[in-house]
Amino acid sequence: MDLWRTKSDVIVDAAIYLVLALLAVVTLYPFLNALAISLNDAKDTGRGGIGIIPRVFTIENYKVIINNDSLFRAYMITISRTLVGTVSSVIATAMFAYGLSKSYLKGRSFYMIVCLITMYFSGGLIPTYLLIKSLHLINNFLVYVIPSMISVWNTVIMMTYFKGLPDAIEESAKVDGAGIFRIFFNIVLPVSAPIIATISLFNGVYQWNAWFDAAIYITNENLKPVQSLLVSIIDTSKFAEAMAKAGLDAERMGAANAINARSVTMATMITAVLPIIMVYPFLQKYFVKGVMIGSVKG
Amino acid sequence: MESPSVVKMKTYTKPNLRKSVKQHLKEWRKQWDLQLMVVPWVLFILIFSYIPMYGLIMAFQEYQLGDVIGFSRWVGWMHFEMFFQTPELDLIIRNTFAISFLKLVFCFPVPIVLAILLNEVRSALYRRSVQTITYLPHFISWVVVAGLTFDLLSVDGGIVNHVLMTLGLVKESILFMGEPKYFWGIVIATDLWKEVGWSAIIYIAAIAAIDPELYQAAAIDGAGRFKRIWHITLPGIKPTVVILLILAVGGILDVGFEQILLLTNSLRNTMVYETSEILDTYVYRVGITQMRFSFATAAGVFKSVLSVTLLVIANRVARKISKESLF
Repeated sequence: MDLWRTKSDVIVDAAIYLVLALLAVVTLYPFLNALAISLNDAKDTGRGGIGIIPRVFTIENYKVIINNDSLFRAYMITISRTLVGTVSSVIATAMFAYGLSKSYLKGRSFYMIVCLITMYFSGGLIPTYLLIKSLHLINNFLVYVIPSMISVWNTVIMMTYFKGLPDAIEESAKVDGAGIFRIFFNIVLPVSAPIIATISLFNGVYQWNAWFDAAIYITNENLKPVQSLLVSIIDTSKFAEAMAKAGLDAERMGAANAINARSVTMATMITAVLPIIMVYPFLQKYFVKGVMIGSVKG
Repeated sequence: MESPSVVKMKTYTKPNLRKSVKQHLKEWRKQWDLQLMVVPWVLFILIFSYIPMYGLIMAFQEYQLGDVIGFSRWVGWMHFEMFFQTPELDLIIRNTFAISFLKLVFCFPVPIVLAILLNEVRSALYRRSVQTITYLPHFISWVVVAGLTFDLLSVDGGIVNHVLMTLGLVKESILFMGEPKYFWGIVIATDLWKEVGWSAIIYIAAIAAIDPELYQAAAIDGAGRFKRIWHITLPGIKPTVVILLILAVGGILDVGFEQILLLTNSLRNTMVYETSEILDTYVYRVGITQMRFSFATAAGVFKSVLSVTLLVIANRVARKISKESLF
């Protein structure tokens, strides 16, 4: 293609590079800004003008988080639900998808229709809420794990993958008389590391970021995940600012607290996204493939 | 020796056109272990997805706490009549369609443009770096995005106001979250920021699937970059775009409930109500906060029916115009 580059091509190239660089900057700026504020002394932040470099470096804000009991508890909840939810969901989805990938499965078309209808049609918020209620999952940790165990989208992705595996790897085991469960756990799963990584990432991210289920199904503060806590922190501090500007001076008394709240809010946000930021670049090729398979099949 | 007709009768077997139920069950039972891998999850889906679907019947009943779902007193169309007489209904429908339309106009094409731009980058390292950066926000929860948004838009210390004032465009800070007129823009901008990189993935893959020889042939024929994009890249991804467009139109009423809920501080922010209330937040408000379960379900049914109708229409239109369709 180099032979065909004209002068205007060079200019357009430069423009494209510039636009993309701008996009990258706009994407990254909020994070870097939040990071800087979280590492900056709270009173100094109150003076304004913090960009992406902390002016008065401190880890005080993070210390506040570590020492805060309710935040610590929230992290424990988030970590537990991510681990338990992801593992159970991946195993369940894998089993389901593997079975569905076998064309000799009796009733397969029926099962597939049952799955596909749910992609277009659902009961909605209220009936689901009442169902959860009647299953006694309200204020129960399991509400984080059970209802989200099977997602049809993920099942289809895994099913496509399993279909693509050569029959040969199972044949020898079948000849040796291995049952389907043994074939699944000892042969198919180890070979399916890429798709397991993909689905684990999807599930893990969902669990880590989930807050709405906690918002409507859980009222026990001890069971709330970090994201829910973050919502209450943000709601009270940011809304207070809005009210203050609108002239409702009652909130002004909390001005000093508002400054500290901002720094701690930022620190909490950073810790809420850090694990994901550290993990996702390494799993890129997996989820890119996953999205492609999912959309082609879907 | 039997007569030929008797022999014929005995050797004639009924053609096995349909297996009997017994035969089906036998085959089913033979693969019991495989079925065991599948059936529990089918039951799971029936419970968690289909029972709520049945629960939609609540829209025609008056649910009281303690009732078994779906077996309450029948009230027919009462809730629907009330719903259509709600004074805010105009507002709600206008907001829902407006935000959704804006998202379609802005958030749908931009990932395509991004994918095309990325494709034109020759340095693989640069391309991969930009890609990795742009789909980072997709992995962040809306909670954090909302928090970052509030901070960036805040009246003291927020960079947006800082820049606006430094450039002299405004004399004093704008309280973005306090005025209804900014809300739609904020919703679109944050959605774009969060999802553009991720949505581009599909298009990048589609572009990569285009035969490179087409480009070379076009270049030999003297086609410049824009001509190549217009005549090769765009038609090459047309099937993908159409399918995704149909899906987008079908999901047109799902305008980002979580996002809007968070951006309005879980509906505490009443200052932007007139542009922020959509069907989903109305259902949430009325159903969960006010516990008017049956009424909220009726609103939900209205939304579902509208969605499915739009999906079917979009599919039909797409089929007429471009021969591509979902079903």
